[in-house]
Amino acid sequence: MQRTVASSPLAPSVKVKLIHFGFHTAADLLDVQPLQLCKEAGISQDEAVEVLQTLRGDAQSDQQEAASESVTALDLLHQEQIHSGVVTFCSELDAVLGGGVPVGKTTEICGAPGVGKTQLCIQLAVDVQIPLCFGGLGGKAVYIDTEGSFVVQRVVDMAEAAVEHCTLLAEDEEQRKALEEFTKEKILSGIFLIRCHGYVELLAEAYLLPDFLAKHPEVRLVVIDSIAFPFRHDFDDLSQRTRLLNGLAQKLILLATQHSAAIVLTNQMTTKVSDGQSKLIPALGESWGHAATQRLILHWDGPQTMMLPTPCFAVSKGELPTLQTLGRPVLKGTSPVKLLYDLCPMLYLSFTMLTIFS
Amino acid sequence: GESCSYRRCIYNVVLLCLCFLSACVRSVREVLSVSAPELQHRLALLSLREVKELHAAAAAACRSSPPVTALQLARGECPSLEPGHRLSLACPVLDNLLRGGLPLRGITELAGESAAGKTQFALQLCLSVQYPQEHGGLGSGAVYICTEDSFPIKRLRQLITQQARLRPNVPQALIRSLRFSDNIYIEHTADLEALQACVSQRVPMLLERGLVRLVVVDSVAALFRTEFQADEAIERARHLLAFSSTLHRLSHTHAAPVFCINQVSDVVDGPNPGRCDYGLVDSKVQPALGIAWANQVMVRLMLWRQEGCLRSGGRTSAPRRLEVVFAPHLPRASCLCGVWEEGVRAIPDEDLGEELQTTS
Repeated sequence: MQRTVASSPLAPSVKVKLIHFGFHTAADLLDVQPLQLCKEAGISQDEAVEVLQTLRGDAQSDQQEAASESVTALDLLHQEQIHSGVVTFCSELDAVLGGGVPVGKTTEICGAPGVGKTQLCIQLAVDVQIPLCFGGLGGKAVYIDTEGSFVVQRVVDMAEAAVEHCTLLAEDEEQRKALEEFTKEKILSGIFLIRCHGYVELLAEAYLLPDFLAKHPEVRLVVIDSIAFPFRHDFDDLSQRTRLLNGLAQKLILLATQHSAAIVLTNQMTTKVSDGQSKLIPALGESWGHAATQRLILHWDGPQTMMLPTPCFAVSKGELPTLQTLGRPVLKGTSPVKLLYDLCPMLYLSFTMLTIFS
Repeated sequence: GESCSYRRCIYNVVLLCLCFLSACVRSVREVLSVSAPELQHRLALLSLREVKELHAAAAAACRSSPPVTALQLARGECPSLEPGHRLSLACPVLDNLLRGGLPLRGITELAGESAAGKTQFALQLCLSVQYPQEHGGLGSGAVYICTEDSFPIKRLRQLITQQARLRPNVPQALIRSLRFSDNIYIEHTADLEALQACVSQRVPMLLERGLVRLVVVDSVAALFRTEFQADEAIERARHLLAFSSTLHRLSHTHAAPVFCINQVSDVVDGPNPGRCDYGLVDSKVQPALGIAWANQVMVRLMLWRQEGCLRSGGRTSAPRRLEVVFAPHLPRASCLCGVWEEGVRAIPDEDLGEELQTTS
């Protein structure tokens, strides 16, 4: 299959000139010298060199790529098993996710305000740094904050809890040795914060992320909290918003696969009225629903089991904090400062998975 | 060699300028909002590689600050991103509940029934913001936007005279030197248009001049509830979104906390999956304005008025419970507080037995 001039990534004015003077496919340019092309097509010498490099280079690399590009499904399965996900250390959540938030894919977390989306994201940014011998990925995280809800105090709490948790788990020599380097300061230095105000800055970050990830190859997780916030106001033209969101989703999926990073996005909920009944659905529209590989919807599970929807503050796993009814004083022991690492198992997760075959 | 790349560089710059002028691509926003093939179509002289370079250059120009690590933030090396202090509520127990006080960036909401004491909190904050940073304030004034009743000027005067009693740790000379009423700017907005105008013009001007560093809206629900009918939910959501995005932007640009007072609405039917209840179990009321507003709020507090009577030093007050409903850095916790002559003060848990008495 010959590359045509019209479909090549050259400047449109150059393409027009080439086609006008009879150069339609790569074959036409096979034996032409740059100076000759320059005279015949009326383009500059630099442009002629570029044309020849692009079209001839494509022809060669196409053949090579065709041979090496195809991968069998078995190879992919092996790859997926090697690159495990970012574990959350809450067994129910990890079970639902199939071993943690998957690397190389985009995961969307939706939920009402206050349910714990930001908490989960910060937890993941800390968990991705857990050393390999403990079951983590030993990588770093990039946290893109569009709402201003990244509070460093909370990250410090979670980092301390993670170190404590791993200290309790350490059994053999390798783990104890890894623990020497796994300190609160190291965890904090492994989370890169980028604050974006508005959708333009978010789009700019999407263009700059590939370079950043290339410079920091140890980054295994990128969190965007939240992707809904900058796109929900200031948009009169919803079709432009859909276009921008789709473009962003494509860039993120490409980023996830090229750099084997897990990408986590948080989304807000909005009310939809249908048949006289109102229900909560994820924001940003129907077409956005197909953007992420996996979608997690968090909501509270009924009046009895709802208690503290901020799971990371559970005093210990399994112990249910008691209900604070009106009129009773706050019970002692629920000290807010020291908190543990486990997610409260009472948080009910509704799991919707949409896989996109690329 | 080098002169060739230099020439190419000049050539590129001239080319880009010509392209921009011809295609009227006016801003970085336009460049970034348009995909590479579309941009190539518009700026016909550039190849795909050059368009990608253009995108990268525009993105780099757009970025306001480079990525920082959480360690740098924790150490206080980036005060523009993480100031390291909060706006105190002038009561150590309340400050403990909020882990320091109101965050400097973002919207903090206080919702509660009428006569719960929400305005008392707002007035206390308007005075607290005027203290210097070492005493928990921000060294600047406050703008108080009234949308329903008139401003409680008598109560403010009473609070000002009693400041020494509320804050025994602050030197008397400092309290006497602060001209509290001069630094509180009161705005009355009778309708939605006036509110939008106030928040888009008057408040930014006060913030830019450094005259205020606290914005209080009392209350945010009043105008939005009265001006929209029940079926105009979408229209109301759009206005709410515009209003809250203005507040959000102002708060982040000037590191000024925004404190919004909200009303509550009754929970008519039982648990409803279509309505988000933020985990408020057994509650007969929930904050007004729905999920559209809740999505914009960073810290949500609720104030409940309770039965019984609090005693302190021979005086009594109806007890109130201040509860943290959600916040990114706070657990679900609450504390009991009373409204006294000098302001709002909370009772620490240890002293609870002695001070709380329920009337039979």
